[in-house]
Amino acid sequence: MHVSEVSEPEKLSRGVVEIRPGRGLLDLDLGGVWRYRELLHILVVRDLKVLYRQAALGAAWAIIQPVFAVAIFTVVFGHFAKIPSDGLPYPVFAFAALLPWTYFAEAVRRSGTGLVNESDLIRKIYFPRLIIPLAAVIAPLVDFLITFLVLLVLLAWYGIVPGWQMLFVPPLLLVATLLALAMGLWLGPINVRFRDIKHTLPFLLQIWMFASPIVYPLSMIPERWKWLYSLNPMVGVIEGFRWAVLGTGSPDLMALSLSASLIVLLLVGGLVFFKRMERSFADLI
Amino acid sequence: MKGNIAIRADGLSKRYRLGTSQHRHDSFRDLLADVVDSLFHRRPTEAPARESFWALKDATFEISRGENVGIIGLNGAGKSTLLKILSRITEPTAGSARIDGRVGALLEVGTGFHPELTGRENVLLYGAILGMRQQEIAGKFDAIVDFAELREFIDTPVKRYSSGMYVRLAFAVAAHLEPEILLLDEVLAVGDIIFQRKCMEFAKRLQQRNATILFVSHNMFSIKTMCRRVIYLKKGVVQFDGPTDKGIELYEKECRLSAVPWAKDNPDDWPIVVTDVALFDDAGVAKTVFDHGERVNVRLCYEAKQPVSTPNFIVAFMRSDGVACCNFSSEVDGVIKDRISGKGVIEFQTPPLKLVSEHYTLHIMVREKGFQRLLCAQVGTSFHVRHQLFDTHFGVYHEPAQWRWESGQALDPHAAASVSMMPEGRITPRGSAEPPASRIVQSGEK
Repeated sequence: MHVSEVSEPEKLSRGVVEIRPGRGLLDLDLGGVWRYRELLHILVVRDLKVLYRQAALGAAWAIIQPVFAVAIFTVVFGHFAKIPSDGLPYPVFAFAALLPWTYFAEAVRRSGTGLVNESDLIRKIYFPRLIIPLAAVIAPLVDFLITFLVLLVLLAWYGIVPGWQMLFVPPLLLVATLLALAMGLWLGPINVRFRDIKHTLPFLLQIWMFASPIVYPLSMIPERWKWLYSLNPMVGVIEGFRWAVLGTGSPDLMALSLSASLIVLLLVGGLVFFKRMERSFADLI
Repeated sequence: MKGNIAIRADGLSKRYRLGTSQHRHDSFRDLLADVVDSLFHRRPTEAPARESFWALKDATFEISRGENVGIIGLNGAGKSTLLKILSRITEPTAGSARIDGRVGALLEVGTGFHPELTGRENVLLYGAILGMRQQEIAGKFDAIVDFAELREFIDTPVKRYSSGMYVRLAFAVAAHLEPEILLLDEVLAVGDIIFQRKCMEFAKRLQQRNATILFVSHNMFSIKTMCRRVIYLKKGVVQFDGPTDKGIELYEKECRLSAVPWAKDNPDDWPIVVTDVALFDDAGVAKTVFDHGERVNVRLCYEAKQPVSTPNFIVAFMRSDGVACCNFSSEVDGVIKDRISGKGVIEFQTPPLKLVSEHYTLHIMVREKGFQRLLCAQVGTSFHVRHQLFDTHFGVYHEPAQWRWESGQALDPHAAASVSMMPEGRITPRGSAEPPASRIVQSGEK
């Protein structure tokens, strides 16, 4: 980005600020976000510190929650409902998909409600508001890393050796992050005006989860509906993730490219929408 | 920007729509329509006049580097709106401003503190929120902790702090911000007077560094000490921009007999109003400066628009930092009438005033007997008490004590006092003044 511009510290302390109503449609002021990167860092650290503070088990919760979810899924869907799992042990099958999903759901929940939770800051202090959804999607990455280690243990237990496809975990995670950010950019400003979002989000995420191949394999979807199913951008991410860590099948390129283009659309639109709405946050929140 | 202008505001205006956000859009569809509208039309769509008001209208001024300017005006005059626009928290509806220099805005002390985090962590967090670099905060960390006098508690979560400790730590961080332009909103009015003095010292230090300060306050005393220029806002419009004394005079004229800031009901609904207030000395000369120890004669003219039964006239002397120093109540002093209507005059003479040298404002309230229903609450006039020595370092008031001093012998600490106390000597601190003060003023402010 504008590295040359920001590398000189003088830029932060010096310089003329113009204040006027209604900047241009595409004036996203990403340079401002970069100048406030320290605040972004501090807010992420704060969220991580606060999350498990005064919880006796601390960060162990990051492990306990998904492990319990997988245990329940295994019993209910694997044993009772006998849902196929592409020939893999059901716990591994579910855990590999639950991992990116748990991250995604948490990131959406946080970025969707973050603005309202920081209303004190927004009312009293100036900083680029984009920092808030950004911090909200970055902080849960740490939980992801912790649970990823659990997945590795699980793989070892079942004697599954991940292959070179593992290299695709970071880019797939990045896709999930960008999608969560895009959701946050849309939902956050709406939540400022309509607190309904806070109540809607749990339903939305639950429906979204069952509309994604987490407890069941993508192969269960009838071929003629696959295109519709793949409109859910998380389908490509989750299937890709399973492929990356378990080596099953091959990534559905059509689904992935559909996801990617949808995410780009959502993200760019979200940025413009967010910057539009940003001006009235302090007045409405 | 060339030249010496730190802030230039050009026709700054801010319009707010009335009502809650729910009323603004009847449905999601309206919202979406509005959003789409605002995406394609860069100008804000005109809202019907009845739904909106201008919190700030056409504010135009220039502030030079190193200048300290006070912003004064009644509640709702647009002072905070102006600061919010200049600190970029909210956007103006129209007009523009240019700010040249590193801005530090303190609209509230301690915003962003997280209760679960320790003092140490909060110093880093709050510093970053105020726009300080981590390196800078780390370098100043010890100075901040010393300033706050909280070294032993610095690793305790701030939720265990008392509110005083909390504010002290927050302010210590803020005080180490070194902005070229400082926007201050009433923040100096929090905390006790000792803390406020610390705040003023901080502002003075910034002044010496040639910082530009824009300072919103209801406290005319601190405005006078800090600023040579004031901008006086009235209903969002710059009414006056010039020398402090002149601006404060205009402001106090507007304040006179206006509703107190905490009054909730519409003054038009009050059954009784005070129409005039005047202060005299014992010789009957109208005055605004009294010597320490002088009696003050207060005359209130009132008009009861409806018949009022058993009214209790209460006058509080509020120090410039908002502390109610004493209260006079007609009911407490045994003066009560069954029923009044129409115009009338009520007068009282205070005992010799032993308040310390400061600026005091009268708050006038009428309540029903027994400190019941509030009938009206107005800001009256203000006056100074003058004394060479006794200022707020001496507390709220000063009375001489009776002293006894023996040396050379072992004294029995339990021996009966041999000095006979004079009646005045027995007045307990805050004795006669305090109970009604806390009862009336504080309950009303909630």
